[in-house]
Amino acid sequence: MALVLAASVGTDLLRALLQGTPPGTVYALIALGFVLTYKTSGVFNLALGAQAYISAAMYFQARNAWGWSTVPALVLSVFLLAPALGLALEHLVFRHLRTSTALAKLVVTIGLSVALPSLFELIVGFEPVAGTTPQGIVPGGATVFYDPFGVYAFSRNELTAVGVALLAVTLLVVLFRFTAIGLQMRAVVESPRLTELSGVNSDRVSAFAWALSSLFAGMAGVLIAPRFNTLAAPDFFNLVVIGIAAAAIGRLVSLPRALVGGLWLGIFIAVSQTFLPRWSDTLTWLQPIEKDLTTAMPFVVLFGVLVLWPAIRNTRAATDPLGGVDPPPPSLASDSRSPGLTLATRAFGVAFLTITGLVVFFRGDASWQFVVTQAVILSTIFLSITVITGLAGQISLCQGTFAAIGGFTVFQLADRFAVSVLLAALIGAAIAALIGAVLSLPVLRLGGIWVAIATLAFAYFFDSVMIKFSWVGGGESALLQGTRIPRPTLGPWDLSDDRAFLVLAVVVFAVVGLAVIQIRGGTVGQTLRALRGSEVAAESIGISAARARMAAFAVSAFIAGLGGALLSIQQRNVNYSSNFSPFAALFWLVLVVSLGARTVEGAGYAGASYTLFDAVILKGTFLGWILRSADHIPGFFPISAKWLFILFGLGTLQYARHPEGAVEYGKRRAGARVEALVTRLRRGPDPVEVALSTEESVR
Amino acid sequence: MTTVLRASHITRSFSGIRALSDVDLEVAAGERVGLIGPNGAGKTTLFNCILGVLRPDRGTVELDGRDVSDLPVHQRARLGIGRTFQRIELFSESTVREHLLIAERTRRGDGRLWKDLLGRGRPRTDEIDRCDEVLDLLGLGDLADEPIEHLSLGQGRLVEVGRALMTDPKLLLLDEPSSGLDHDETADLATTLRTVQDAQGIAILLVEHDVEFVAGFTERSYVLDFGQVIAQGPTAEMLASDAVREAYLGTLDVSS
Repeated sequence: MALVLAASVGTDLLRALLQGTPPGTVYALIALGFVLTYKTSGVFNLALGAQAYISAAMYFQARNAWGWSTVPALVLSVFLLAPALGLALEHLVFRHLRTSTALAKLVVTIGLSVALPSLFELIVGFEPVAGTTPQGIVPGGATVFYDPFGVYAFSRNELTAVGVALLAVTLLVVLFRFTAIGLQMRAVVESPRLTELSGVNSDRVSAFAWALSSLFAGMAGVLIAPRFNTLAAPDFFNLVVIGIAAAAIGRLVSLPRALVGGLWLGIFIAVSQTFLPRWSDTLTWLQPIEKDLTTAMPFVVLFGVLVLWPAIRNTRAATDPLGGVDPPPPSLASDSRSPGLTLATRAFGVAFLTITGLVVFFRGDASWQFVVTQAVILSTIFLSITVITGLAGQISLCQGTFAAIGGFTVFQLADRFAVSVLLAALIGAAIAALIGAVLSLPVLRLGGIWVAIATLAFAYFFDSVMIKFSWVGGGESALLQGTRIPRPTLGPWDLSDDRAFLVLAVVVFAVVGLAVIQIRGGTVGQTLRALRGSEVAAESIGISAARARMAAFAVSAFIAGLGGALLSIQQRNVNYSSNFSPFAALFWLVLVVSLGARTVEGAGYAGASYTLFDAVILKGTFLGWILRSADHIPGFFPISAKWLFILFGLGTLQYARHPEGAVEYGKRRAGARVEALVTRLRRGPDPVEVALSTEESVR
Repeated sequence: MTTVLRASHITRSFSGIRALSDVDLEVAAGERVGLIGPNGAGKTTLFNCILGVLRPDRGTVELDGRDVSDLPVHQRARLGIGRTFQRIELFSESTVREHLLIAERTRRGDGRLWKDLLGRGRPRTDEIDRCDEVLDLLGLGDLADEPIEHLSLGQGRLVEVGRALMTDPKLLLLDEPSSGLDHDETADLATTLRTVQDAQGIAILLVEHDVEFVAGFTERSYVLDFGQVIAQGPTAEMLASDAVREAYLGTLDVSS
């Protein structure tokens, strides 16, 4: 009996091994692409998933919509488009960010991963069709099977993936070992500066690495596409997170280890898929999540590697012996602004909010009230990003998760214990704050870009595992009925009335906004500003970086939790996947960073943009108001809603130079111009300037 | 005289290479001590071990008789080790006065989130006065509201000194304060530092390449070479000794 069992375990293990190899090789391709650019240009490229998506979508479009045959479609999507995209990114974006901080580069790649898919879809006219599985690059890929060992039948697609990956890796080895550019790449990895001193153009080498990396991503995208039911950009973003997990196993810098990491991850997932159901027979708590735990494996692995292996974060900083001669990062705009400008901003803000509020309150119909309320609540949530990113300078990609924790707490407390939802909202915020504080302990030790990656892993872990527990997401009953939440009454006010709820939302936003302003000007804000300026210097005067950032994390999680709870109450449902999924939360960050992460005002604009940009601007409604007639809206409206993602995604490009955001930057420039004008009017023309302008006209 | 800093038997290796072996160093209250030696002698490593940036493999660091070997940087700072940086480290988005204000706040340790929320986190007049006193002492009074990007390197270094002074240090570690400064600026810096030290009576440990600066400023010096203290004593004697000349210049006939 035992022997039979052992034999069956052995067979299962072999089967899992074989089954895990094909996806493992694809993960390995992504990981290789990731390591290539990380090593040569220091860019932690989260946009790699978007690059993979573009190639996959291009291939799909060429085959299905344009009716091309396999080879030309493959040449176009993988061998032409992908490297061209990589070159374009290097040339137009990252070359100019070479001296920026790693964090700034990361933010730009996050923006790109939001913008690029929409941009591509718009240019090519590609629309993902739900339920149409993309085909592979060999005929009969999903229907013809081979079973070489008698335990697992490989589909043709899977074998192709393995073959292509092997070929790619072989070519990479040859490239690195035997060609001049390979040698130069290895040198650039060691030290771009030293390499340049010996007469190698490191820009050219870096461009080559980007093209190669993009080629790998594109190839992986086309190979993995048949595994999805529908082509969708978020799935490919998941893919890059898996790739990063694989690369993290290789300490992010070793190509061979990234390869092994990818394979290992694929096999590990398959093994856990095989054996978890057996364990869950005895461990009943495993049952609801056994299916999801396997998809969450990469995120667990990534989180574990980051947290348990802190040495990983020093890998790059320590490599370049000439790193010190790099010019310092561009100096940032000062955090202070003239008191006049602050006063003007606040006056304008209050006036604008009051007038819009009154108009919507008295004149708007139910749908406008709903959208505007949503904008106000999202602005509140976005204030959590103001705290963690604007004040503390940390990139957290799990703000959506904190908001979801607030929402689910309200749902659970109201559903099970009939707790008043407003009280439940506060409890939810407190729980989110607690989780934020606990999470910050391991995560914040990492610092810099690793906070972003670890919080991303946490967000995905929550997304694929935690949510399935009935004490979080409500289990099966929630699948049928949704996560219903009643509207509360507050004393004499019945908040099931949308107008009353709008007032509540505005009040909460105002209170939280004031709190953020107080924190920014107080000790905590000053401490965080010092840490943002120079961590070593801050510690040298006795500031505990860990404690200050933990406070910021907890406050930020509290705000997000409160906002998430409010949003759920407003929608009478948590609506997790449309409101709080990790990919949605990624876009939150992009919006806030684009518009202004330092100010309450920036969060307000971001909230308004998230819900109203499409409805008001892109649909042409605003123009209609100005023209006082809906009939005169020009024919090119409505503009595609994708522009929302494109505009704000590309808006992150300015983060490296202007972390204060577009709104603040524009305002300061305008303010400076006004000031200059006023002085000139008062004093008459400035003699120096007159001299300069005459000199110029003489020339 | 009481000993402020006592580092004993400090040993530290980097991947098999010994950067420091069995180094002893003491600084008494109010004393000005130099730490000199050629490049790669281990000065910076020793500095970092004292500050807590690095942990020595062996050896202890005592501050005012208290063993601080296991404490992280910020706790040692609170106990009274202040420092400046060789490559200047300022808070890029703060004004000159804000640098001192945050140090003052941290020293008091009464910054609490709830105080901020109640609007009591803003700088108070007594704090501002204390900062301005130090700024005047350093000759930075006129620059108090300037953002640091408007400062010269020498002024920036003084801001670092001022920031460190606000923490009420018992010992100030100066990491090559003259680097990047010209001759006159260095002389000014030495004068200012002397004024500060006379006013506050703190001990100063100085790592420095500028021999003239060390000679004029410190009373006593340690000479490090290949990770070991090869000589110590009055600075003038140290700089004149053959051991030091050899460590810096190699054998004498090569140098001529």
